[in-house]
Amino acid sequence: MSEEVGTTANVFEDEYIPFISRWGMITNLTAAVLSFGPVFVLATVFGVMPTSAAILAGFVSIISVSGAFWIVEPISYFPVLGIPGTYMAFMSGNISNLRLPCAAVAQESAGVEAGTNEGAIISTLGVAASIIVNVIILTIGVILGAALIDALPEGVRAAFDNILPAIFGAIFVQFALAQPKIGVVALVIGGFMTWLLREGYLAFLPGVPSYAVIIVSVFGTIAVGRWMFERGMIRT
Amino acid sequence: MDYLDIANSLPMWIAASLAVIVCLCQAILFLRRSWIDGKKVGLTDEQLRAGFRSGAISAVGPAVAILMGMVALLVSLGGAISWMRLSFIGSVMFELMAAGFGTEAVGIELGAPDMNVTAFANAVWTMTLGAVGWLVITGLFTPNMEAIRRKLAGGREALLPVITICAMLGAFAYLSTERILRFDHQTIAWAIGALTMGILLTTARSRNLQWLREWSLGISMFTGMIIASFFM
Repeated sequence: MSEEVGTTANVFEDEYIPFISRWGMITNLTAAVLSFGPVFVLATVFGVMPTSAAILAGFVSIISVSGAFWIVEPISYFPVLGIPGTYMAFMSGNISNLRLPCAAVAQESAGVEAGTNEGAIISTLGVAASIIVNVIILTIGVILGAALIDALPEGVRAAFDNILPAIFGAIFVQFALAQPKIGVVALVIGGFMTWLLREGYLAFLPGVPSYAVIIVSVFGTIAVGRWMFERGMIRT
Repeated sequence: MDYLDIANSLPMWIAASLAVIVCLCQAILFLRRSWIDGKKVGLTDEQLRAGFRSGAISAVGPAVAILMGMVALLVSLGGAISWMRLSFIGSVMFELMAAGFGTEAVGIELGAPDMNVTAFANAVWTMTLGAVGWLVITGLFTPNMEAIRRKLAGGREALLPVITICAMLGAFAYLSTERILRFDHQTIAWAIGALTMGILLTTARSRNLQWLREWSLGISMFTGMIIASFFM
């Protein structure tokens, strides 16, 4: 038995992860270069190039919002996504509304635990499925065009505003069922930080300080959860 | 030449497609490898299929919501860029904000009648530069993050799943409280989504209903969405 456990761990750590890390690095860095494809085409095919002052002004505006998230988000979501999920989720975007929920439901459906080797492999399948489905639906949508979507009754379009909070509630409960005490802790920390943000008490931080809310919520909950585990207040 | 003719031109579509193709290739490459190595670590065919199938089922609702958001981008940025940015890297809110910053930097409001090709190009530059950091940082440093995760667990294997559940609850508490504290239809959507999921998963687990596990998230999100829309 112990030998078998050793072998499966070796497959994961000696074959799977090195393969994923090598190809993840190659594909994500290739994608970083290819993300400049449209501006390259605009400059070379159409001769359209904004002044460097305009590009810099746009860049400074956006990086003041997104710059902190470049680091905070990968680190905060890593314990959930694992190595393969991190490469895929940050390549494909739409993380909280699509990739994380699909990773979580895949693990529930396969009956594997989040944070284990099996969990990492299964969440990869869920995220891959979500990428394929999303590209298919958006491609159909862009071919049919905005006219078709505009033809939908206003009520139907407005209703989709509510799908995101419903997903957040469902995923929160899926994990809170496993650790109800930590669920309460997380809501208290997240609620307090959100309140601070809303009341303007985080305004001393540079940029849009919602990055402070996410990092304190995630790592604050980890710190309290670990403390509770060490005192036997929760079990795995 | 109207800027939208350039935005919807064939060269722009080719450039956009290349990025989306890399994203799809990575997904298929990782999918194939996970399937092969998943079996080697002892996962059954049924578990692998259930994981993939439930991911696909649950992606439909959010993808349709993204499609609704894509309309907002389509009218001011054309098809190629909107399709590319939402299939790859971005999200609707982020892209709208970045595009707005880009056009404002040349003194034009996004989607305004005087929107021209220079404003369009600066919007695309801003969207590109604003998001490239995520690709570079994850491309270079993802394996190093595993060391951080192990450090958080203090070298104890048993603690790793607890750390993951804490991180997930922390992240979704952050996403949730921002909606709950609005005290409007979004709060109701959150509560109904949460309640439905609680009932479905408890039932699925106690009676061992595999199909219900796979559909639980899909059913919960639509129930929350539909009930909350009566309160709008």
